[in-house]
Amino acid sequence: MIWHITKRELYDNLISLRFALATFLLFGLMLTNAVVHLREHPERMQKYHDGVTAAQNELRTRTHLYDIGVQGPGSLYKKPSLLQFCAEGGDIFLTDSVYGGFLHWADGNLRGFWSTIYHYGNPDSKNIRPDTIKVDWGFVIGYVLSLIAILFTFDSISGDREHGTLRLTLANAIPRHTVLIGKFLGALISISVPFTLAVLANLLIISTSSDVQLNTDAWSRLAIIFCIAILYLCLFLALGLLVSSLVQRNAASLVILLLTWVVFVVFMPSTLASVTSGFSKPMGFYEYRQRLSKLHDQLKGEYWTRVQNMDALPTKKMELSGEFVMNDVAQRVRLGQEYVSQQHAQIQLMRSVTRISPVAIVQHLFESFAGTGFERHRHFVENVQHYEREYREFVLDMDRSDPDSPHIIGVREGMSQKPVNPESVPMFEDTLSLSHDFNAAAIDLFLLVLFLVVLLSGAYLAFVRIDV
Amino acid sequence: MLKTLIRRELLNNFMTFRFAAVLLITLLLVVANTVVLIQDYEQRLESYNDAVRTHYQELRAAKTYSTMAILVDRAPNPLSIFNVGLDKRLGNLVGIYHGFMPTLWNAEMHGTDNPFIAFFSSIDIVFVFEVILSLMGLIFAYDAIAGERERGTLRLVLAQPVRRVHILVAKYISAMACLLVPLILSLLFALLLLTRSIPLSTADFLRIAGIVFTSFAYLSLFYLIGLLISVATRRTGTALMLAMFVWGFLILVYPNLIRATVNPGGDIQARTKIVENRIQQILDEYERERQKFLEKEGIAGEASEFSKALGLHSYAFVHPVTLMSYVENISLISEIHPEFEKYVPSGKRYYDFVEPLAMRTVEKTWHIRKQALDEIYVRQAATDRVLLKLSPVGVYDSATQAWAGTDLEGVRDFFHAARRYRKAVIDYLYAKEAFSSREWFIADKAAVDWSTLPQFTFERSNVGTNAKRALPDLFLLLISNLVLFMAIVLIFIKSEV
Repeated sequence: MIWHITKRELYDNLISLRFALATFLLFGLMLTNAVVHLREHPERMQKYHDGVTAAQNELRTRTHLYDIGVQGPGSLYKKPSLLQFCAEGGDIFLTDSVYGGFLHWADGNLRGFWSTIYHYGNPDSKNIRPDTIKVDWGFVIGYVLSLIAILFTFDSISGDREHGTLRLTLANAIPRHTVLIGKFLGALISISVPFTLAVLANLLIISTSSDVQLNTDAWSRLAIIFCIAILYLCLFLALGLLVSSLVQRNAASLVILLLTWVVFVVFMPSTLASVTSGFSKPMGFYEYRQRLSKLHDQLKGEYWTRVQNMDALPTKKMELSGEFVMNDVAQRVRLGQEYVSQQHAQIQLMRSVTRISPVAIVQHLFESFAGTGFERHRHFVENVQHYEREYREFVLDMDRSDPDSPHIIGVREGMSQKPVNPESVPMFEDTLSLSHDFNAAAIDLFLLVLFLVVLLSGAYLAFVRIDV
Repeated sequence: MLKTLIRRELLNNFMTFRFAAVLLITLLLVVANTVVLIQDYEQRLESYNDAVRTHYQELRAAKTYSTMAILVDRAPNPLSIFNVGLDKRLGNLVGIYHGFMPTLWNAEMHGTDNPFIAFFSSIDIVFVFEVILSLMGLIFAYDAIAGERERGTLRLVLAQPVRRVHILVAKYISAMACLLVPLILSLLFALLLLTRSIPLSTADFLRIAGIVFTSFAYLSLFYLIGLLISVATRRTGTALMLAMFVWGFLILVYPNLIRATVNPGGDIQARTKIVENRIQQILDEYERERQKFLEKEGIAGEASEFSKALGLHSYAFVHPVTLMSYVENISLISEIHPEFEKYVPSGKRYYDFVEPLAMRTVEKTWHIRKQALDEIYVRQAATDRVLLKLSPVGVYDSATQAWAGTDLEGVRDFFHAARRYRKAVIDYLYAKEAFSSREWFIADKAAVDWSTLPQFTFERSNVGTNAKRALPDLFLLLISNLVLFMAIVLIFIKSEV
């Protein structure tokens, strides 16, 4: 019986104008997405590979341990995701690298030791182009597909009631939930068919190109993303059915649905983000730099008074210099981490609050599985911090293993003079792992399912209780 | 007869559920967002005031002319609550120094500038209107004619001696009257909240009036689009679907799609590289002249001794992205060692020669740089804007930005003022004969008195300028209104009932 009703709904939908328009829109967007990805992705990969090679070559030229400590490993690059077309994740606002080869200061013979610089100010602050949302899967599904879902279901019950066909249907010996499920399936199938086809066309274009190779890991991620998209579609179908059975008239149902959609999908994320961004005041780049130079000057002042007060015993002076350099790098690393973690904490809070909006949930999920966006960036920064420790340990270890070295780190004369084999210097490699992403996505997935269950049971209750 | 028609339509519109729902949601969204935006504005204002205070203290702390650190700050625009534009995004703090030319590409940010915030799209009152007003216009219009046709009432009305144009005019007037209620009411609430916490000048009220008028034209445009669909279709169902997809396309899809499909113009890196090289040549020439002077003074041989005596740091470089050329000669000492006293006359002559030379060099590079910045960055942004204007949202957005003064031109006004101020500072330094003075690099005789330095002031451009910038877009909106209305009349007159 369910199949019967589903079939009727399907026939109704397939010949309707909205089906044609939705198919057209979905195909147009998905094809654009594929073409843009094919244009941009090779450039991105090229940039990444060039950057990594340049940094590694630069690192290979250093053989003196002191130079390795001062000049650092060159810039560290974030590996671009293969699936950037699924969720662009605001990557244009993020730096794709951290500055790794940077001389922080020089004073006489002393040089600041290397530490990473996470952001060099806000890259967006020089951008004068109008801001728009990138057309990725997240946009197509989050905004357009949800709108289509509403346009397909707003009249599914109230329309039948207006025409009087609902009374006819229910006059037969059909349980009400069967009717509801039939309608739900009908709408689901009639949207997911063009959607799936559009997705397949998109993937076909992307995978046939020689520039982009999707591996098995990428395909499994795509499968998960597709399932989430269908789940999200169901959410809006359930919402449509709920409102449609609560309201007597088509027009009223549409107005309520559209306004709900506009509030939850368009306004909620930005308004809530704006509210929560006011709760904390992370350090700005300007302030960060001010504090950095103040700390440095303070340490330098102490160092100079201690050096001048002392009778110039060369080794003692060298020890003081080494201590100064190492203290300086330690406080620089501390401040840098504080700066970044304050920013991350603010965004973390904003992201958790915006989860009230389903579109934010679905975009978080897409970002997690596509390996882009904020969580990914945080992961990258963690990788960098881990590498930074490893690198510094390496310098210390090399020095420790040389018995001829005076073991005064931070001064050229105080460190091991033995040439270092460039191959033995640890290299940075950015990694991505699926299990890490699952953990990050668990809450979002749970919330999405919860919303879906609530709306579905709401629609069921509303439909069972209505007067025809 | 027209009066009767209007009365009927008004009653029809006012007593509907959609009117109540739309009114409620508009009020809710506008008021909620206004509260949030005011809070945000106040925070930015506070950070601005802090910045001005600390920068003034920093300037006073400089004991010599060469170590002066003049920083000027851009105050947040109170009308950014209506359309934030570029006001919040672009830098709001720029240094004034005779050795470089301040532009928005060199500006930094005071206050917090978390780059990740850009993840979340910014919101303002115009954005609420962009989405809600267009939706409202279409919802009110889709069944205006198609509905009557379906119910058969159109035939009844036309059986009376009524001109068809009158029916359309009556529908238009009454629907607009109805749609203006949420617009005006929500704006009144917003203004009430605004004036309680932010003092607005008369000019600001005029600008807001401009924004309201533009909103009105935008709303009317979408009502007419809906009416066109309604006139052209037979059934309300079809009209509704068409209207919704048109809305989705114009508001949601088109503005984002067009940016994705249009390739940013050419290879930016290659173009900046060429200009960078040209600027570098000028800087090299500057460096040569500087060295020549040192030779002539007979201190080239002991240049390092001379530099050490003066604590001289001399840089000249060009930034590869922003093409900023920066020429600095700075003495990082405030007292001079007695044995170096012999270098003081040379130092005076050095600065007297090199600083005007640096200024001339910067002026020379500025001509090249200005053109390059316009060609590489500004033109690209302008192309984007033009493409966005194919959708009414783009026109509305840029017109309201122009009114609010948060568009690119408005922000650039600040940097014009900053450059003018640089000129004033240079004139002041010349008047004080600062370059050839001992206080330029040594503070032992007397620290520099900063109290007579001209103050930086920046007034937003006057309403006339705002209007001039907004007028083309407003005109475009009005013209499209007119064209649409004529199209509707033509179709309706020719259509069968």
